Amino acid sequence: MIRLLNVSRHFQRGPDVVRALDHVTLTIPDGRFAALMGPSGSGKSTLLNLLSGIDRPDEGEVEVAGRRLTGLSEDELAAWRARHVGLVFQFYNLIPVLSARENVELPLLLTDLRGPERRRRAEVALEVVGLVQERFDQLPGTLSGGEQQRVAIARAIVTDPDLIVADEPTGDLDAQSADAVLALLSELNREFHKAIVLVTHDLRALRWVDEVHHLDKGRLLAGDEALRASETLEQALGTARRHAKVKP
Amino acid sequence: MSRAIPLSYSLRSVFQRRTRALLTVVVMALVVLAVTVMLSLVSGIRRTLVATGEADNLIIIRKGATNDGSSMLPIEAYRAVAYFPGIASGADGEPLVSPEMVIQPFFYRPDGGRENVLVRGVRPVAFAVHRNVHIREGRAPRSSSGEAAVGRAVAARYAVRLGGDVRFGRRVWKVVGILEAGGSSFESEVWVDVNDLWNDANRSIYNGLRVKVAPGSDPQVLVRRVAADPRWTLEAKPEIDYYREQADSANFLFRLTLALGLIMGIGASFGAMNTMFAAVKSRTAEIGTLRALGFSRRSILISFVTEALAIALAGFAVGVLMAIATTLGINALMKGVAINLMTFTTATVDLRVSATSALQVLLLATLLGLAGGFLPARHAARLSPVEALRRR
Amino acid sequence: MNYRTLVSRNFSRGRLRTVLTAASIMLSIFLACAVLTLPSGLAALVERVTSGSRVLVHNKAGLSYMMPYSYLQKVRAVPGVTAATSFSWFGGIYDEPKNLFPNFAIDADAVGDIWAEFQIDPQAIADFRRYRDGALVGYQTMRKFRWKIGDRVTLRSTIWPVDLDFRIVGVLPEPHGNPMWFLFSRTYMEEALRAKGLSADFAGMIWVRVDDPANVGTVMRRIDDLFRNSDAETASETEKSFFESFMSSLSGLSNVILAVGFLVAAAVVVITANTCSMAIRERAPEIAILKALGFRRFTILGLLLTETLTLALGSGVIGAVAAYGVLKLLAALGATGARPGLGPLSMFLVTPWHVLEGILLSLVVGVVAGVVPSWGAARKPVAEALREVF
Repeated sequence: MIRLLNVSRHFQRGPDVVRALDHVTLTIPDGRFAALMGPSGSGKSTLLNLLSGIDRPDEGEVEVAGRRLTGLSEDELAAWRARHVGLVFQFYNLIPVLSARENVELPLLLTDLRGPERRRRAEVALEVVGLVQERFDQLPGTLSGGEQQRVAIARAIVTDPDLIVADEPTGDLDAQSADAVLALLSELNREFHKAIVLVTHDLRALRWVDEVHHLDKGRLLAGDEALRASETLEQALGTARRHAKVKP
Repeated sequence: MSRAIPLSYSLRSVFQRRTRALLTVVVMALVVLAVTVMLSLVSGIRRTLVATGEADNLIIIRKGATNDGSSMLPIEAYRAVAYFPGIASGADGEPLVSPEMVIQPFFYRPDGGRENVLVRGVRPVAFAVHRNVHIREGRAPRSSSGEAAVGRAVAARYAVRLGGDVRFGRRVWKVVGILEAGGSSFESEVWVDVNDLWNDANRSIYNGLRVKVAPGSDPQVLVRRVAADPRWTLEAKPEIDYYREQADSANFLFRLTLALGLIMGIGASFGAMNTMFAAVKSRTAEIGTLRALGFSRRSILISFVTEALAIALAGFAVGVLMAIATTLGINALMKGVAINLMTFTTATVDLRVSATSALQVLLLATLLGLAGGFLPARHAARLSPVEALRRR
Repeated sequence: MNYRTLVSRNFSRGRLRTVLTAASIMLSIFLACAVLTLPSGLAALVERVTSGSRVLVHNKAGLSYMMPYSYLQKVRAVPGVTAATSFSWFGGIYDEPKNLFPNFAIDADAVGDIWAEFQIDPQAIADFRRYRDGALVGYQTMRKFRWKIGDRVTLRSTIWPVDLDFRIVGVLPEPHGNPMWFLFSRTYMEEALRAKGLSADFAGMIWVRVDDPANVGTVMRRIDDLFRNSDAETASETEKSFFESFMSSLSGLSNVILAVGFLVAAAVVVITANTCSMAIRERAPEIAILKALGFRRFTILGLLLTETLTLALGSGVIGAVAAYGVLKLLAALGATGARPGLGPLSMFLVTPWHVLEGILLSLVVGVVAGVVPSWGAARKPVAEALREVF
């Protein structure tokens, strides 16, 4: 369960102070597949950072899976993340000099597991995300965009975290790969009961997620605003589908 | 049509990544500093020793001796040589032949260190033969009076004053004059009356002669005459040649400096190469744009090489300034650098950055800049515009 | 896959840059090693050839002032003196003026006692006593001119009008013998000088062997007291102090060269720091991801520093060992006379200790160069790091 209570976060950008998040309160129940959406600069990535323990709010409380994150130090947050959160980014996920398997093993270095056990778990995770065996020893440079994201997801689940967090995971992918990644995330949510929070621009995500939260200029939209935002999106999705059908 | 990329672009690009460029300039400057200081030492040694020779003087010593401290000349030889033709005459009609005895007594530095200093016992004619040696203050020592004229560097190094006393050999001497000789090794000597020196050393000998060749006369005639004389095994040599041979230690140092400069320079140019390669990499898109706009490969190559040269030259400028400051500092603080001459005596050398040294180092810096910049520049020039623009 | 993998794999990245940096470090440490040897090279030379039981007596005024030969007998009679010999510079050249090596006239009977540490072959000592024209030659001089025992050589003196013919009867052997000396009997020189009507009643220096190193101070005082207020006052000093004063005037030069060595080290630190910061900047996204995954900043600092240190240390080891090898080779060439011009290089005596110093220097370079960029990259809070990347 994710609980953000009245959180605010601001940054110094030159002479100005940018309010990235403005008194946001949000609760996401256990085991949900949630999406954070909104225009550029709306604060969705900042919000994601707060609930995944990457950043600390200037005001307010953050509580994830029963743990109060707000009082923790940088190192304590790091330790917490290692155990409880899996992270997927839009790009730069994988370390280019490590193979797919080795990349997945990476978070396991932070545990007490020994070499052979780490290797085994990494392979299991890779199988879950559907990467073919031959690719296990290949470097990320030789993998397609979709395959790279799969590996990134495998890495995100290898420590068996409570929460998976993904920041624009499909942003750099073609349509087919994007769908495959979203399907995979959905499967992880349904079959393995992983809570997932997604930040995305991708309308396709609407098909897969349980709930959508809209942000605009650092505020969480609620009530009428939220409804209107949803409707706009549905319309856009419908339009897109229509356009997709009208193909010569 | 081949447009050249404007120089201002190259120069501005270099300093875009300020820290990186600055660090590379610092490396170049350090190399320049090191090499320049060493070269100034070499040229200082050479200047001290070669300058000591006068164009129209010969030195006559025992055949095979390498220096006038390690030679001996019979008095009869002196008397005979004095009347050889081809020797200049002084105002009084006497031949300008200076018989000299050299000895190396201990001198003590103010910090207690002990060194050998060359003391030259001379007759008054010596000042007429060694025209480059002047009494800067005071006067020449009188005969058999226990007086000494002390070279400028000796006065500084052993804290000796005009009008004061100096103790060396077996007695105390009165300092009546300070010698100045254009920075040559004579300034590291003490001149006394030869009779006094004979008494002090308990030996009445001459080690060698200095002879002034008559104007218009061929010195080689005299050289051959001396060599051919069966009575004694002597050789006559033009002073300039004699002192040039003394500068052997400088040659070793010069070769050492070359080796040092090369090795350090190669190391530095590797560093420059790194910087340039990184610069090329981060500006790949820019290069693609330039090529797409129609600038030729050549112009890209030249542009990058120019950048490398700019860094090298900036490093040179900074390094040379630092070197000049350093040599001035060393001269002021250490009063020059002491070297051991072949006569087993100590001479002081002033470090001075000569124009030749600066030019040599400029050449080195330019070469290093070219070496460091060429490969990255070539790599940049070879990028295809399409690829370059595609890469993020 | 473990932490070690992370460090080692990163070397395969930017191979050109790594190679270039490694090469500059190698070259610079090579140079620094060579320079570092200077001060101790001279000191080591002194240590090797000197003994605590030998004392040199010379005229107080200077080495080129003589003492009467009669001093020798008096010195021999001083309590605590086990042996003494005169030691007079002959200034002889062999064949060509360029062929300079120190040659001295000594008292033939004392050589084995005074220089016992040289470990001269007893047969050679006996022959030296027996043959008036015998000569004992240092090993390096022997090699330089390719002389063998039994050869006859002629030395022409530059300070006396005599030439002397010698028969080489023995070597001052490696490693303790003086490498350059050429020693012969004083009697031989005396005869030749008398024949020319010159007096031979002098001793340039007197070497004295003392029974116990602890007595050296007392013996020196006794000797100097003997000749105080005479025409030729003496100053005695230990062999070590004599050699040291010889070298002390070189200190100015040696300091300049040392300073240059420091410049070299500084330059290489700057080069490495530059490379380091470039490499780290390039990997900013990766570092950010590692932090996001939960790797502590301290761990990341460790990883980055280990990389820099491995590079610096690895290159430094190669550079230092190369210095050892190359300089040893050059010195050997100089010693054998194959390239006598390299002779002075033998004062750049590289010992294993210097190799160690060079390696330590490269370690320091790695730390100093790497610490600032690594620290900066490591301590950045993860949120800020991510923001800069994405």
